[in-house]
Amino acid sequence: MRIVSTLFVAFSAAVVLTSCGAGGDNQGTEYAPNMYHSVAYEPYSQITDEDAGRWLTSIDYPDGHAEFYNSNKFNPYRMNMRESAPHTVARNKHGWLPYRLGKDSLAFAAANVKSPLDSTAAIIADGKVLYETYCDHCHGPKGKGDGKVAAGGIKVEVNGEQKERSIYAGVANLTSDALKGVSEGHIFHVITMGKGLMWSHGSQISPEDRWKIAKYVKTLQK
Amino acid sequence: MSSDSRFVPLVLKTDTEPNMNRNFISSACKFLSLVFVFAFLNLTSNAQEISKEPAAISAGETLFNANCKACHRVKSKLVGPALQNVYDRAPSIDWIKSFVKNSSGVIASGDDYANKLYNEFNKTQMTAFSSFKDADIMNILAYIKAETEKVAVTQVPNGPVPPTGGGDGGVSKTYLDVILAGMLLILVLLLIILGFLVSALKRFLDQKELSEEEKEVVHSPITLGTVTSSSGFIFIVVFLAGALGFKAVINGLYSIGIQQGYAPKQPIAFSHKIHAGQLEIDCKYCHVGVMKGKSATIPSVNICMNCHNQIKEGQQTGTGEIAKITAAWENKKPIEWVRIHNLPDLAYFNHSQHVNVAGVECQTCHGPIETMDVVRQHSLLTMGWCIDCHRKTDVNTKGNAYYDKLVELHKEKSKTPMKVEDEGGLECAKCHY
Ligand code: HEC
Repeated sequence: MRIVSTLFVAFSAAVVLTSCGAGGDNQGTEYAPNMYHSVAYEPYSQITDEDAGRWLTSIDYPDGHAEFYNSNKFNPYRMNMRESAPHTVARNKHGWLPYRLGKDSLAFAAANVKSPLDSTAAIIADGKVLYETYCDHCHGPKGKGDGKVAAGGIKVEVNGEQKERSIYAGVANLTSDALKGVSEGHIFHVITMGKGLMWSHGSQISPEDRWKIAKYVKTLQK
Repeated sequence: MSSDSRFVPLVLKTDTEPNMNRNFISSACKFLSLVFVFAFLNLTSNAQEISKEPAAISAGETLFNANCKACHRVKSKLVGPALQNVYDRAPSIDWIKSFVKNSSGVIASGDDYANKLYNEFNKTQMTAFSSFKDADIMNILAYIKAETEKVAVTQVPNGPVPPTGGGDGGVSKTYLDVILAGMLLILVLLLIILGFLVSALKRFLDQKELSEEEKEVVHSPITLGTVTSSSGFIFIVVFLAGALGFKAVINGLYSIGIQQGYAPKQPIAFSHKIHAGQLEIDCKYCHVGVMKGKSATIPSVNICMNCHNQIKEGQQTGTGEIAKITAAWENKKPIEWVRIHNLPDLAYFNHSQHVNVAGVECQTCHGPIETMDVVRQHSLLTMGWCIDCHRKTDVNTKGNAYYDKLVELHKEKSKTPMKVEDEGGLECAKCHY
C-alpha cells in the first residue's frame, strides 16, 4: 500500500506541474511574477484591472492599485501610449520638417515639390527594397498593377468550395502611359496622402523612405 | 496601323475631330472609303465602326490589360462600370473617345450622361488617358466588343463542377484500419501459439517423473491474481510509473515561466496564413516599427483599412470579422489585441538591432508565422535560448562601417568568424539593466 500512495502523490504532482505549461488561451505559470510585470508604463501591455496581482503586492502604491496594474487613466481608453504633444513637430535626422501640403494639392506638389535625394545606385537599391515591402503586393513587382492583392481570378478553397479570392480593385498600373510621366513629387504626394482608391501610406513610411520609393518607381516606369 | 475601313466613319465627322486628318493619306482615299461606307452602312445598322479584325482585337487587348483592367472588366462592375456594350450604351463613339481622353473635362462641361455616371460611381474620377490616339481607343473597343460577344458563347457550358475524388482523408483512414486489424490478428495468433506452447510443455512435463511439489507448480492455475502479485510484474509497473512520473515532474518544472505554445484567442480572427502566406504581404508593411525601434509594433487600424476599406469579405470568416475592423475605424476605438510574447520586464530586447542590423529573419524566432491561422509563441524565449543563438551566430558585418575595426581586432586573435559572443553578446548588462 505504501507504494500505491507514493505513486499517487507523484502522479498528482506531475499533473499539477504539467498545467504550468502554456498552450491555447493558457499563458502558463510565471516564474517570479513581479519581475515580469513592469512598474513603468509599457506601450504594448496594458492591465486595467487595479486588483491584478494583489496576492503578492508588497508596496503601498499611492492610488492603492495592486502589483500588476499597468494602465494610464489619463489617456483615452486608459492606454499607455501617448500621442505627441500638441504644437510640436517631429524632425528627422536631416532636419526635415513634416510635409504640410493638403491632400487636394496633388497638382501643386507634382509641379513644385522636388526630391531632396540624389539618384545614386544605393538610394535606388534602398527604394527597391522599400517598394517591395510597401507597394509590391498591390502594384506588383514591376508596377503593372498586378500584385497578389490586386490580381483577380485566383481561386481558393473555402470549406470544400472553390471561391474567387477577394481582390483590391482599381490598382493603378504605374507603367501605363497615363502615369509614366508623373514627377517624383507626384508619387511622393500620392504615397503620403493617398489618391482616389489608394489610401494614405504616410503613417507607415518615413518621408525619406517615400522619396526613395519615388526614385525607384521612376526607374520602373522607364 | 493601316487606314482600313474601321477608321472611315471618323472621316464623316472630321469637323468634330480636327486632328483626324493626319491619320489618313489622301482625300481621294477618303472619297473612296466614303462611298464604301455608305454601302456598308445600309447593311449593318449599329456599331459598324468597330473592327472585328484579330489584329485590332489583340492590340486592344494589350492596351486594355495595361491601362483599363485595374478598374474595368468587360462583364462585371469593378471600380468602374462593366464595359460590355458601351459602344451601344454611350451617347456616341465620339463621346467615348473624349471621355477616355479627358473624363473630368467632359464632366465639367456639364454633359448629362457623364455626370450621371460620375454620381453613380461615388464621384470617382477616371484617369485621363490623354496620350491615347483615337485608333487606340477604337482597338480597345474592338476588344471589348469581341469579349462581349465571346462571353455569351462561353457561358453556356457551365455545368456543375464534378466532385473531385473521395478525398484522400478516407483512403488513409482505411489504410490505418487495415494495419490495425492486421496487428490485432498477429497478436491473437501469438496468444494462440503461446497457449499451444504452454499446453505442450505441460504435457511434456506430465510424461516425466515429477515430485508432488513440482506437479503442483506445473498444474497451478494461471489467473489474473497470480500474475499481478508476481514480483516481476510489480517491479515493472512501479518502474514504469516512477519513470513516467519523474519525467512529468521534471517537464512540469521546466515549463514554469515558459510560454512557448501560448496561442490566445484574439479579438479579431486575423490569419497570418492568408495575409503573409497566400498574399505575401511583407511583414514590415504592417509591423512598421520592426526596422526602427524596440517594438515591431502592432498595426494601427488605418493600416488594416488600407486594404479593408475595399475588401469586406474574407475567405474563412465571411464578413463578420472584417466588419469588426470597420467598426473600430468608424468608432475611432482601438482594437485590443492580446499580447503573446511577454518578455519579462527584467530583460531588454530590441527588434531593430536584430532585424535591421543583424538581418535576422522574422521566422528565426517566430517560426513559420506565414502558415499560422492563430499565432502561437514558437520559441522558448528563455535566457538559454538567447545565449545559444548569440554563441552560434556570425555577426552580420557586411557593409556596416561600425564593425570594421572590431573585425580587424578580432582577426588578430582568432581565425573563426566573429560571433555575437565575441563582441559582448553574453555580457549581463547588454540585456539586464
Ligand atoms: C492597397 C493597395 C495599394 C498599395 C499598398 C499601394 N497602392 Fe498605389 N494605388 C492603389 C490604387 C487602388 C490606386 C488607384 C487610385 C485611383 O486612381 O483611384 C493607386 C494609385 C497609385 C498611383 C497613381 C496615382 C495617380 O496619379 O493616379 C501611384 C503613383 C501609386 N499608387 C504609388 C504607390 C506607391 C509608391 C505605393 C507604395 C508605397 C503604393 N502605391 C501602394 C493601391 C495601392
